Amino acid sequence: MEPSIVELKGITKTFQRGKEPIVVLDGLTLEIPTGSFEALMGPSGSGKSTLLNLIAGLDRPTQGSAVVAGANLVSMSDGELAKFRARHIGFIFQAYNLLPVLTAIENVELPLLLTNLSKTERRERAQTALRVVGLEERMKHYPRQLSGGQEQRVAIARAIVNDPTIIVADEPTGDLDRKAADDILNLLERLNKEFKKTILMVTHDPHAAERAGVTRKLDKGQLQ
Amino acid sequence: MIPVSYNLRNLTVRKTTTAAVALGLGLVVFVFASVLMLSNGIKKTMGRSASPDVAVVLRKGATAELESVIEEPSINLVLNDKELPLPATGPRGIAELVVVILLDKVGAPGLSNATVRGVADGSLAFRPNIKIIAGRAAQSGSDEVTVGKAIRGRFKGLDLDQTFELKKNRPVKVVGIFEDAGSSYESEVWADLNLVRASFRREGVVSVIRARVEPSKFDGYKASIESNRQLNMQVLKEAEYYDKQSEGTSTFIAAMGIMIAVFFSVGAMLGAMITMHAAVANRQREIGTLRALGFSKASILFSFLIESIMLALLGGVLGAGASLAMGMVNFSMVNFASWSEISFRFEPTPGIIAGGIIFATVMGLFGGLFPAIRASRVSPIDAMRS
Repeated sequence: MEPSIVELKGITKTFQRGKEPIVVLDGLTLEIPTGSFEALMGPSGSGKSTLLNLIAGLDRPTQGSAVVAGANLVSMSDGELAKFRARHIGFIFQAYNLLPVLTAIENVELPLLLTNLSKTERRERAQTALRVVGLEERMKHYPRQLSGGQEQRVAIARAIVNDPTIIVADEPTGDLDRKAADDILNLLERLNKEFKKTILMVTHDPHAAERAGVTRKLDKGQLQ
Repeated sequence: MIPVSYNLRNLTVRKTTTAAVALGLGLVVFVFASVLMLSNGIKKTMGRSASPDVAVVLRKGATAELESVIEEPSINLVLNDKELPLPATGPRGIAELVVVILLDKVGAPGLSNATVRGVADGSLAFRPNIKIIAGRAAQSGSDEVTVGKAIRGRFKGLDLDQTFELKKNRPVKVVGIFEDAGSSYESEVWADLNLVRASFRREGVVSVIRARVEPSKFDGYKASIESNRQLNMQVLKEAEYYDKQSEGTSTFIAAMGIMIAVFFSVGAMLGAMITMHAAVANRQREIGTLRALGFSKASILFSFLIESIMLALLGGVLGAGASLAMGMVNFSMVNFASWSEISFRFEPTPGIIAGGIIFATVMGLFGGLFPAIRASRVSPIDAMRS
């Protein structure tokens, strides 16, 4: 049994809507082993994205303890969380979130700008990441010159370029057709199996969830 | 740090907005640099009239040649003072009478003042830089005048072979045009000293005496003249005299211009601010993504400030470049010291151009500050939600 990379205990997350508190996560406990590929499913409003945000260090729980990659996220400042994300988290978004004015390789290189690598080393790494996702020949293309599937592959290259501890993917195939979605899922599977990356994927799509080793279901802020 | 290419390309993507804001900022820099160039032009024009080895002698208390009255007998005392050495060449000094006349302007309605300098033999020899560029020198004791090239043709009758009335029923003929490297003399009419005296009933007086004094002997000469109570005169270095002459006008121009530029800059900064606010609003998801990737609030703030400064620098370079073209324009206005028209040029300096660009940078900095702060406060969760 691999040690846990994510350890959440008694996590509660409450948002305030006017005077009324909305409980999105309700005393949730979760452990994710290192090197696993897990899917998180659930209806809209079940708290999937909120949970993903907490694990990725984008948000803090209202209550409970959250240790990810050995770091206690609850006690971290905004600046420390930013450093944590830069070091440990690779993000894949539903809408790709590439910067439209940067080329594919420049987009991939972005996370490396937060490291001490030289320009040459950054370029080499970004090129390698694009090779892994099969887009080396498109590295000088702007996002508008790529298809949706290709954009998401560039986003995956950006997510893996700094060798993160965990990849978090929020509906990574939500905007893609079946064929492009399969390509992306194949790629995620390969990253998990070949490169031993821990992947946590939020999805509505049962077909996508099937590709993950573990599927967890969330409803009303609790894991089923 | 977020790459500068990100900001540069964002500016090029929204070409029309970038161009409009840059033009607004450029206009402010243009006004700012132009007025400083004009102010500098006034100083330089007056300064060009000065020689390092010439002393200007005026009646004590007079601030300009026009206000000064010196009686004829004093001229010899001033020019034969024991502290005034004999020059190697040329006359020891000259005495001149300066008056102002009203003349009809050419190409514009109304009248304006022109300076007339009553000169004696030796005035041209005393100022070897002055050259007759058309016609010839006026003959001593005649009704002939020479005219500086800057004032030539600006008033009716002030061109070669034309005539005008120095005073009612005192017609004079322009027989020559002179130049003096853009100095204020080029905005004067030079007539015979006795003719001017007779025309303006100033017999027996002059306005100013100029004496040739080596800089090392100046203090001794000044002390000697100023300590002579019988003379009641003041002695100034010619450069110092012209500095004082240009001070009022150039300071007024610079102050007015800077005030206008500062008013304009508020509008330009608002323009830059609105543009940058729009950029922040349109790029919420990009900002959120950068924050999610680990870029700090400070790096987002810095990036948007850089973008605003780049936008302002573009305007600054455009404005400063356009202001350089003003160097080709001649500008005529009343000098407060002589109350007569003097022709100036816009004189650029590296300092003025650099000042214009720094001014643009400051506008960019202030215009971009609030939008940049707003950008730095974008929550990374917005990237996930949008």
